[in-house]
Amino acid sequence: MIRIGLRDARAHFSRFVMSIIAIALGVSFVVGSFCFRAMMNDQVDQMMGSNTDHDVYVRGTDEKKDDDTAASSSSMKTYNDVDDTLVDDIKNVKGVKTAEIVYSVSGSLVLVKQDGNAVSTMGSPTMGIGLEKGTWRSAHLTEGRWAKKRNEVALHSYAAESSGLKVGDTTKLVYPTGPEDVTVVGIFDTDASQAGAIILGLAPDVAKELYQQQTGQIGQTQYIGVYGSGNKGQPLTDDQQRALADRINKALPAGSKATAITGDQMRDEYSQSIKDMLGFIQPLILIFAVIALFVGSFIIANTFSMIVRESMRGYALLRSVGASPMQVFSTVIIQALLLGLVGSAAGIGLGWGMVRLIVFGMTKLGTPLSGAASPSPTDMLVGLLVGVIVTFIGAALPARRAAMAPPIQAMNETVNPEKPVRPRAVTGTIMVVLGVAAWLFCWRIATIDGDPTPIGPLNALADRYGTGWPLGIGAGLIVIGVIVLAPALVQPAGVVLGFLPSLVFRVTGRLAMRNLSRQKRRTANTAAALFVGVAIVSCLSVVAASAKASVAGIVDTGLKSDFAVSSAANGQIPDAAVEAVKQVDGVKSVSTSRMLMNIKYDGKRISGTSFAEQPSLFTDVFAPVTMSGDANKALRDGELVVGETIAKDRGWQVGDTVTMTGERVSVDEEATAKAQADWQAQTQAKVTALQQEAQQLAASGDAAGAQAKAAEAQQTITDAQNVDPSTLIRTKSETTRTKVKVGAIISNSIYRTMVLMNDETAEKLADQQTMFTIQLFIAARKGTDTEALRKRLVKAVKPYYVLSVLDREDYKSTMSSMVDQILIILYALLALSIVIAIFGIVNTLALSVSERTKEIGLLRAIGTSRAQVRGMLAIEAAIISVFGTLLGLVTGVGAGVVIRAVYGDNGLEVLSIPWGQLGVFLMLSILVGLLASVQPAGRALKKPVLDAVASE
Amino acid sequence: MGRHTAQAVQARREHDDTAREARGTARTTDVRNGVSRARAPREGEAVARAVDLVKTYGAKDTAVVALDHVNVEFMRGQMTAIMGPSGSGKSTLMHCMAGLDTPTSGKVFVEGLEVSAMGQRQLTKLRREQIGFIFQSFNLVPTLSAEENILLPLQIAGKPIDRAWFDHVVHVVGLEQRLTHRPSQLSGGQQQRVACARALMARPSVIFADEPTGNLDSRSSREVLSFLKTSVHEYGQTIVMVTHDPRAASYADRVLVLADGRIVNDMDHPSYERILDVFAADDSDDVDASLADGADAEGGARA
Repeated sequence: MIRIGLRDARAHFSRFVMSIIAIALGVSFVVGSFCFRAMMNDQVDQMMGSNTDHDVYVRGTDEKKDDDTAASSSSMKTYNDVDDTLVDDIKNVKGVKTAEIVYSVSGSLVLVKQDGNAVSTMGSPTMGIGLEKGTWRSAHLTEGRWAKKRNEVALHSYAAESSGLKVGDTTKLVYPTGPEDVTVVGIFDTDASQAGAIILGLAPDVAKELYQQQTGQIGQTQYIGVYGSGNKGQPLTDDQQRALADRINKALPAGSKATAITGDQMRDEYSQSIKDMLGFIQPLILIFAVIALFVGSFIIANTFSMIVRESMRGYALLRSVGASPMQVFSTVIIQALLLGLVGSAAGIGLGWGMVRLIVFGMTKLGTPLSGAASPSPTDMLVGLLVGVIVTFIGAALPARRAAMAPPIQAMNETVNPEKPVRPRAVTGTIMVVLGVAAWLFCWRIATIDGDPTPIGPLNALADRYGTGWPLGIGAGLIVIGVIVLAPALVQPAGVVLGFLPSLVFRVTGRLAMRNLSRQKRRTANTAAALFVGVAIVSCLSVVAASAKASVAGIVDTGLKSDFAVSSAANGQIPDAAVEAVKQVDGVKSVSTSRMLMNIKYDGKRISGTSFAEQPSLFTDVFAPVTMSGDANKALRDGELVVGETIAKDRGWQVGDTVTMTGERVSVDEEATAKAQADWQAQTQAKVTALQQEAQQLAASGDAAGAQAKAAEAQQTITDAQNVDPSTLIRTKSETTRTKVKVGAIISNSIYRTMVLMNDETAEKLADQQTMFTIQLFIAARKGTDTEALRKRLVKAVKPYYVLSVLDREDYKSTMSSMVDQILIILYALLALSIVIAIFGIVNTLALSVSERTKEIGLLRAIGTSRAQVRGMLAIEAAIISVFGTLLGLVTGVGAGVVIRAVYGDNGLEVLSIPWGQLGVFLMLSILVGLLASVQPAGRALKKPVLDAVASE
Repeated sequence: MGRHTAQAVQARREHDDTAREARGTARTTDVRNGVSRARAPREGEAVARAVDLVKTYGAKDTAVVALDHVNVEFMRGQMTAIMGPSGSGKSTLMHCMAGLDTPTSGKVFVEGLEVSAMGQRQLTKLRREQIGFIFQSFNLVPTLSAEENILLPLQIAGKPIDRAWFDHVVHVVGLEQRLTHRPSQLSGGQQQRVACARALMARPSVIFADEPTGNLDSRSSREVLSFLKTSVHEYGQTIVMVTHDPRAASYADRVLVLADGRIVNDMDHPSYERILDVFAADDSDDVDASLADGADAEGGARA
């Protein structure tokens, strides 16, 4: 029996091609998604191993509920900061080689390339790290030395490569305060690729200063890194790390709120949080794997139905010569298993290739990844199992039919009525209705103030779980419900969708329409593949269009200023640049938005940001949408203007008084004096020692030696005079406090999570160190040629490299282009689901054609032209495809509308349904159908009329 | 009895054009008169003919000759039955005549048009205008009602529907009460009557019927055959029918018997008994014995 199965498989191989492709695609997504995740994890581990390579870390003991990053998806726990001074305690512990705070800043630096343009990355940050010998074990200097001064920098090899800079070159480095000339003094390499990040080695002092500016944290740090000396300069083993951590813990002073953990633990925590953040990618890929496998399983079912139907006589013969049903079953199933194996194997290869391609593509785009991209044996096994199981499921039913073939073949194929679809209609409708109810519920929670429903328990539920759960449950119910319901919709949909074709092509249109209703389940399954893909894509395109429209809406309705200036490095705008812009001819006013760090209100942070603005903000930049109070007056009078969300959150009303606390950094005169005195004493001691030596040498008659020593002493004095005094300045932070009244509450979407105050109020709380200009709004003087002004502005900010001038349209399109980038990925997924759907339609039609061989022969015999047969099948295919697409569009748009409502407060102000785009999807679906019908129609027509008619 | 000779074939070739015109006139008259008047079958008009038709299957060594230089004409207004044992080539002959199969050599003409040289497009046109089919297994489109099935050929061809003719045909086949039924709701006999009505609806030059009673019980067979016979005698329809049922063949005006790809007998209005006799001779496995009756026919076929 197995031999017969194998022989059949060989004979049928050409028919299996489509099934194999479908299975291979499905499996490739499964394997690819695992493989991709493994690759990313490996990359993360590698980077952790090389970037977070200390043996022991000392960090805070108390987990901090960080309200600054409430919206962050990171699962990384943050702890209280520890005092810098602990370093001294740790240094003295036995076995500690070095203990230090490695300061790094990310996102606020920009390196200027050899050719004078800024180095740009694909989303990876530019990081500045304070490095000197021994601070980073995994980094090796390959050339030159580490940076020692503000105007020196050491480059990571990838940074050197992307900038085209060599040791000795002078270039510009854009600090948050503006560009400065720097010399490349060294190039270093790291063990792992840095995924496209541009890493700059700065002098440790410089990095510390930048870090303090960026974070507003002074004298404190998140953690202290410790290298141990226990393993002859090699990284410590896990046990050694633990022993060292224990010793350090004992040495830490009581009340320091600090604890030492092993480097391994730290790395694991970091890796895990990054992996969690990247975790969403795999399910996304898996959705498409499920679509592909779903289509694959019924392509297989269809293919085997065809084969079984055609070989029925053979099976009957086998049965009549004594084969058991099980044996016949096995002849069919063996073919399926073979097919599954081949398809899965191809899929594993394909999946591996895909990940390889992604890695290649990312490297080309500037994100080199060194993670291992090969699937593990487990991945392969999973892929193989999935493929084979899906194939088995697909083939089981046809195989059963073969096995049950009566020994004397007398099957009349015309009589094979379908099971009624009513039960599915009922179940499906219930599911869809429940799903829609869940969405409505979710929509009401999101949009209605107060109770979303008149029903108490539901409201309690809403309070407890928010919008996420009803949204997800609704989506699940609707998608599955529609798939269940679809067969029942085939007939009415056929009538509606077939109306136009049957008006134009009277006979073929009508035939096509009715043919679809013959196998409602099959038609519905075929359409389902498109349904799911289109639903996802159209939902996301509604969300994307809404996001764009919302930004455009803000600009159109609120933005009054003509230009905005912002920093591409998403950092601060140097004061010099602000001045330069103010000097530009034709500028009426410049409003600066300055962000304040570490501001607390009544002792608590807000889940938003605080900004210092000028009173011209509401008159020249954005018109306020005032809920209560007078925003304009409030800003002028030094009162707070609070965004609606925050006001609601904190329960603030106009007239309330709030105590604000902030931080100012000032020079700690005492400490600085002490540091200078210490340093002077130190230098003095050194000079004295040298002079003494010189005298001794002179006394012993070594005049040359004495002279050398004296020169050395003199040199030390000169050095001391030349030393950068800023390195000796000690700063301290003081807490500032002021009471302010809430003057107005506004609901402009961009201000919802902001608290605005005027500059005077802000300066009471913060200073240059803790307050940065991040955006400028420029109003043009009346009658100024805006295009010329724009050119002048661009010229004015050119020396700062990273500042860009945006006019109103640019302002809109910055958001749009971001959204468009995301959409490109979506379209790739859409294309993929279309390809899979085409397979499905082709296959369904092929089966249908094979079943209708006689009928088509008859149609041909009574005068149906080839074009008419093609037309009939094309209409059938187009209706299937439009049916699936329409279901997808309706569901997807529904989901989009609900999601828009849920995130209405997070910037999706305006609902925009991209009708044009959805129309294109629909047109495309017609095209897809027409395309899919070509091959089956060709097959139908290839069969001579005579054979078709005579085939019994 | 056998009247086909090569000479006759030659002689009749010239008549084709005039015959078509005459037929066209006749049809117009029919319509005007509400279809009631019979069109008398006229001798001497060939609707379809085969010239030196050869059909072989398979490669050289193993070639099987299905048709061996067959010359034959089918007369307008006649029902001709083609009989013969299995493998005699009777179905092949009909398929070649109807343009369903391509002959290896020789020519086939329907209404003076050379079918054997036609491309797909012309064949489609031919099927729309000149040829009707009735198959053994009814071959109705299962998704269409009886009425839609009957009208299908006209609609496919985009021709206007002659309602009077439709009503008449439906009345004759006795399907008035069944028009809205789907094929699956009809009995075999009813289905075959729908198929007959469908073939008749377009009033083709010739209807080819392949074992039209092969799947029917004897009562349904009788109904279908008498309907076919009526259509020949009342409306001048030309029918070529392949059958191996002598009872069915006895309804025909003329019976051709094939054996081993050659016409071995050509009988005009044979009785049931006569047909049985011929086949009794066949059954003796001595095909040549039957040639005694149709010697001239064979000679004609071979000429």
